Amino acid sequence: MEAPPVLKAVGLSKSYKVGHIRRRLRPALQGLDLEVRRGEIFGYLGPNGSGKTTTLKLLMGLLRADAGEVQVLGRPWLDPAWRYQVGYLPENPYLYDYLTPREYLDYVGRLFGLSSRERAERGRALLERLGLSHVAAVPLRRFSKGMLQRVGLAQALVNDPELLILDEPMSGLDPVGRRLVRDLILEQKAAGKTVLFSTHILPDAEALCDRVAVLRGGRLLDAGPLSQILKLDVSHMELLAAGLDAARLEDPAIRVRQALGERWRLEVEERSLGAVVRAVEAAGGRILAVQPIRQSLEDYFFKELGGGSAGPWGGAD
Amino acid sequence: MGRGRLSRILAVAANTFRETVRERVLYNLVFFALLMTLSGLLLAQLSIRQDEKIIKDLGLAAMDLFGSMIALFIGVSLVSKEIERRSLHPLLAKPLGRDEFFLGKFFGLAFTLFVNTSAMAAGLFLTLLATGRSANLGLVGAIYTIFLSLLLVVALAMLLSSVTSPALSAIGTLGLVIVGRFSDVIRNMREVVPGAPDWLVKILYYAIPNFRNFDFKEQAAYGDPIPLSALGQVTLYAAFYVGLALAAGLASFRSRDFE
Repeated sequence: MEAPPVLKAVGLSKSYKVGHIRRRLRPALQGLDLEVRRGEIFGYLGPNGSGKTTTLKLLMGLLRADAGEVQVLGRPWLDPAWRYQVGYLPENPYLYDYLTPREYLDYVGRLFGLSSRERAERGRALLERLGLSHVAAVPLRRFSKGMLQRVGLAQALVNDPELLILDEPMSGLDPVGRRLVRDLILEQKAAGKTVLFSTHILPDAEALCDRVAVLRGGRLLDAGPLSQILKLDVSHMELLAAGLDAARLEDPAIRVRQALGERWRLEVEERSLGAVVRAVEAAGGRILAVQPIRQSLEDYFFKELGGGSAGPWGGAD
Repeated sequence: MGRGRLSRILAVAANTFRETVRERVLYNLVFFALLMTLSGLLLAQLSIRQDEKIIKDLGLAAMDLFGSMIALFIGVSLVSKEIERRSLHPLLAKPLGRDEFFLGKFFGLAFTLFVNTSAMAAGLFLTLLATGRSANLGLVGAIYTIFLSLLLVVALAMLLSSVTSPALSAIGTLGLVIVGRFSDVIRNMREVVPGAPDWLVKILYYAIPNFRNFDFKEQAAYGDPIPLSALGQVTLYAAFYVGLALAAGLASFRSRDFE
């Protein structure tokens, strides 16, 4: 029997009031059905303004839904018990600038009813894990955006949550910070925890997620495993070749030639694969790899969302 | 109230107090209040047999004026700031109810006002001591009622902060405090504006708390005792209006969206 979902939303809708004199409603989320399964990393994707942040704020109770039902960890949304087992990182978190990371984590730990010993131990362990031990006693007002994001992650993990909900966790981070967040997400999964995160950084989603949901204009466009969403293009193959100048190859079956340093990436029609391989070898080159072309998330976004009214990256969440 | 609930309210209150303690503006206001109290020493030397009254007058006036400024400032800024800067977002996602957060803020601010009023009262008592005078119970009673009025200011500021912008809440709270000090003008409004409907005058008179009810400065300055029954009535009056303002603020805070 399949385990019950960690998070289930049915028909979730939200509209915002806009305009000062003539107030009207602008729908931000329309009839969203969503299911996140235990132990998976679930990516919540969509261009700016598609409703990602609105969804997460609805789940966390910062916004009141117009319609819809939510269950978290098998409990109805109104039952506060699930909040003890959920961690949440808002987008660009603002944390009290007069507190130090140690004080902030202690404060947050008190809200979970942790004892002072537990608060001290978890605070110390999280600060160490997130590389913040050396600034544990420095007021947050002196922190860079990336460091604040790390403290934000620490506060989301203070209760050792079963479900971690992260809104754009990689936003504003340098490569080291991004790597740290990616590792943390994978660590959570390895520990049997569930992670739901929104992002518009597609390579991160591609590298981490078991399943994704794609949102456009407040509606769910697609949801499922990446392999299902990013369909294989079996009519074309990707060749990696070295030892030749592929620009000189005159074969009409080659539709893309891309130089990658010493190597060349070629996209060819599947039926002409044999001829192209022979042509490469005849030109003195060698084939390093051959594989079917898999659509990237970026390809998917531009194909599916590029024609949208707001454009793929327009608007605001 | 469950232990967990109380412990969360206290956690928010403690953090609010810590925030105000680290807010430098407060120290400036308390400093000016103490300076004004001490200036009573100079003025007292210029008067004959009025020195004690002048010191008490100035001390209580400073406590009232600067205390109200502090209450207005922290009441508006601390709640609005949480909403505008979204620092409450991670907190409200935790097992912390909106009502617990709101009440925790109020208790934290109330404790800040208690500490500030105590500091200013200590300044006044020391000034009296330095001139060979002593504080009487009437003075303590007057300080107590000033403290109650400050609680009301902070509750009104929190109410307005939960429904409107910081600037409008500051203007609105200031307006209520000023109008509330001239409640008699509202009651006698029809003498100036004969066309004003009676029901409107009554609504305004009862809706806006009468801050004059908290003013026992005159009795305290003359060394007259303040009857306990009067203090009891003022306490109930404050409890009623503080409760009303908090309930209305809470209702708005509970239902609003935090975008």
